[in-house]
Amino acid sequence: MELFLQFISNTGFFLTDYRYLIMMAVGCTFVYLAIAKEYEPLLLLPIGFGVIIGNIPFFKGFGLGIYESNSVLHYLYFGVTSGLYPSIVFLGLGAMTDFSSLLIRPKLMLLGAAAQMGIYFTLLSALALGFMPKEAGSIAIIGGADGPTSIFLTAKLAPHLIGPVAIAAYSYMALIPIIQPPIMRLLTTKEERLIRMPDVERTVSRKELLLFPVIGVVLCCYLAPASIPLLGPFFFGNLMKVSGVVDRLAKTAASSIIDTATIFLGFTVGASTQGDVFLTPKSVGIFFLGAIAFSIATASGVLFAKLMNLFMKNKINPLLGAAGVSAVPGSAREVHLVGQKEDPSNYLLMHAMACNSSGVIGSAICAGILWSFLV
Amino acid sequence: MYGLEAINAHNGWAMALTGAIIVMTGLTVLATIISQLHRIIGFMENCKSGKAETETPRVEPPVMETQPAATVLSDPGSCVDRFHLMTTDAGETFDLTTLHQIFTQNDDPHPHLTIRSLREQGYLVSAGEGRFSWKP
Repeated sequence: MELFLQFISNTGFFLTDYRYLIMMAVGCTFVYLAIAKEYEPLLLLPIGFGVIIGNIPFFKGFGLGIYESNSVLHYLYFGVTSGLYPSIVFLGLGAMTDFSSLLIRPKLMLLGAAAQMGIYFTLLSALALGFMPKEAGSIAIIGGADGPTSIFLTAKLAPHLIGPVAIAAYSYMALIPIIQPPIMRLLTTKEERLIRMPDVERTVSRKELLLFPVIGVVLCCYLAPASIPLLGPFFFGNLMKVSGVVDRLAKTAASSIIDTATIFLGFTVGASTQGDVFLTPKSVGIFFLGAIAFSIATASGVLFAKLMNLFMKNKINPLLGAAGVSAVPGSAREVHLVGQKEDPSNYLLMHAMACNSSGVIGSAICAGILWSFLV
Repeated sequence: MYGLEAINAHNGWAMALTGAIIVMTGLTVLATIISQLHRIIGFMENCKSGKAETETPRVEPPVMETQPAATVLSDPGSCVDRFHLMTTDAGETFDLTTLHQIFTQNDDPHPHLTIRSLREQGYLVSAGEGRFSWKP
């Protein structure tokens, strides 16, 4: 009988409390959103299930939990805390990215830069709300709308905030169809939304595609060496893709490798988000600031495009500024759809993809800059 | 510490301003380089081949705000059948990115203009949720 009672006292039913139950409900919500609504399923499903697993109570000291050394989850979590998984994800992203639209329309790169102002505005807001500088940097990078970048920087600056930052970043990325369109419509007139982008029918040569990743990595990493772990693999993946001589490696990077990293990244980030860490006033502040970050990033891209139009003969459709955030291809798709609502024959997708690609580079540079400022 | 006092104490203004300037400058320089890249490559290739090349300025077509694009297809009927055949593997509905890739792979010199023309002439119809299909 005593043995039985001892067993009962070690079960999750006995050890649970309301915080674990709340977090399991959050995890189940993410799983539901991923499967039923198809909101960013590649990320929300692993994160959601990880949250469920991470909030199953257990008797500490047996090497079971993600924060206990010698546990399987702890070994897998090493890829998050060390920044390994985000680097691998960026390798795969580079191998999947086609920079032709950006090379044909280099002016649109400036919109990717402008959208990163959301990061710096959020940095100031986070400091004003009382967060410490390293925490503020981790929260600010949510404005880059890039999940792996957010996790990478948070792992370096404020590892205790990985859970809330990652969940905020990915949640807002999934909510782009809700967040961005009202801001785009608010900041643009109907005439501006109807602007058609000129077609530049120049074929991008293979040499340009080969030189771009080399020039990009040298220039960006000389400027912000702390972004080497992200931009180095990113441009390497892209070079593998365009070189044409290592197709097998490029395909593997763009499929198996990035998928493996995504699974472990999402799962362990979710598992690290435990009730006693996540259900705090700080997390509420992080979610609030994350919404501000996304909104300011969208607005700054759109407003910068309007500013550019003051000096340009051939106007840019200011909706493209919203695609300067790093959420590829979600924000490009939203820009295209908003443009199509005004004029169904206005195709902004390829132009928006140019801004999106630039946003990926911009957010990684910002992560490197913040890391070098705050380390 | 909260508010402006916290920002001042932690050098927030300097970090934000410097970071913004660095990222804008970096991407501006990168954009400038890649905007000239094709000319540099062309110049180097001409130097290699020993020919003097006169640089022709890149002519961008004017922005068409309300008028439809010029029709690319000279014989719409037969060309549409050809395009239809190209997209057999893409399924009943497809997105424009896939269509663009298919046209590029089949050596269409102006895939974007072709898609626009097909759309404007009603051969491509929207099937909802960003997908399109051929007019029945």
